[in-house]
Amino acid sequence: MSQAETDMLDKMRAEILHATLPHIAFDGWTMSAAEAGAADAGYKPGDAVRAFPGGPVEMIVFFSRQADRDTMAEMEKRGAAELKVRERVTLGVRLRLEQNTQHREAIRRALAVLSFPQNAALGAQCLYRTVDAIWYAAGDTATDYNFYTKRGLLAGVYSATLLYWLNDNSEGFADTWSFLDRRIADVMAVPKTLGQIGKRFERMPNPLRVFAPGPRRRRRRKGSAAKP
Amino acid sequence: MGAKKKARPKRTGEDLLPGDPSREELIARMIRVDHAGEYGAVRIYEGQLAVLNRKPGPGRYGTMRGTPAVAAIKEMAEQEQRHLDAFDQLLVERRVRPTVLSPIWHAAGYALGAATAMLGERAAMACTVAVEEVIDEHYAAQAERLGDDEAELRAMIEEFRADEGAHRDTAIAHEAEAAPAYPLLTAAVKTGSRLAIWLSTRV
Repeated sequence: MSQAETDMLDKMRAEILHATLPHIAFDGWTMSAAEAGAADAGYKPGDAVRAFPGGPVEMIVFFSRQADRDTMAEMEKRGAAELKVRERVTLGVRLRLEQNTQHREAIRRALAVLSFPQNAALGAQCLYRTVDAIWYAAGDTATDYNFYTKRGLLAGVYSATLLYWLNDNSEGFADTWSFLDRRIADVMAVPKTLGQIGKRFERMPNPLRVFAPGPRRRRRRKGSAAKP
Repeated sequence: MGAKKKARPKRTGEDLLPGDPSREELIARMIRVDHAGEYGAVRIYEGQLAVLNRKPGPGRYGTMRGTPAVAAIKEMAEQEQRHLDAFDQLLVERRVRPTVLSPIWHAAGYALGAATAMLGERAAMACTVAVEEVIDEHYAAQAERLGDDEAELRAMIEEFRADEGAHRDTAIAHEAEAAPAYPLLTAAVKTGSRLAIWLSTRV
């Protein structure tokens, strides 16, 4: 497939998806909703199948990935680079949710579809892509295990906030944003707790010290003895 | 038709078969495993230096410090660090996830370096020969798979490959082949490195 064809298909997918979302609240994530959406967007009903041959699940994945891309673009536009890391991530989660305020019902139903056992892997993948997009847009440069701890922590924060947001009826989702702030504060406390645990272990003898050869140990002992 | 085919620039992943990882996945895997490899190499040299810098010998402070072998290892370690920095950058630029196994390579690389260095500096050099030979093959295979659309990455890999080849020659010049149980030692290290490559490509 040439690049132009791929772009055209992507444009069609985006348009059909956008027109389908209002139907989801009534029809659920079904192909009949997609066909109605395709008709609304000015396509033939059969184009819904052409755009999403994988069915509703493919539509959900496309929806999620598009939301990720929009979040990244919006974060860049709002100058996330000038904020503190904590604020950048908060902004990312907030933008990711806020852009779909109109489609909360569709998202609730998408979560129901993704929680089927056969879709569990896809659901996890969508979550990974989302937190990865937010961290990437936040300018994360970790290339060791921190890459995974960061994404893991944010996955917890994001999914909890998402569930809270789905049932939040407060004005302007104020409750959700304070919930998000509290979750981020929890995460910020994690390294502190780990540091305290590490400090406790510091006082214990290190079994690996047995392998340390002589000269350095002797020097260190002399050095500490010299200190009054 | 054959002549026409030759004139066309080679594209990465054009020989993929159904069921193979996609072109993007192929490149992501390459960058992931190369990053893991350079990380492991840095850790091996760190392990060797940690032991040799304290081992009694003819160098400074009555240790092996400053002897030609240790100086050579230090230089090679610095070069590996430069390679690692380059892959660190590439990983972030291209949004490739690093290998999940990096904590294992962190420990295993250091342990391999320290263990071989404890056997003596010749064994340390033999370890270098084995690792660099595997990496040389690995980079050669990668460069072959990359097409003209990834010329930049290919050039980078070729450059690093030349460095790794030079490391092997340096190690041989420092009497690696006189190490105790040289064939056994290198075979073991090579098998381990190949396993590490296979794993880091995938997870």
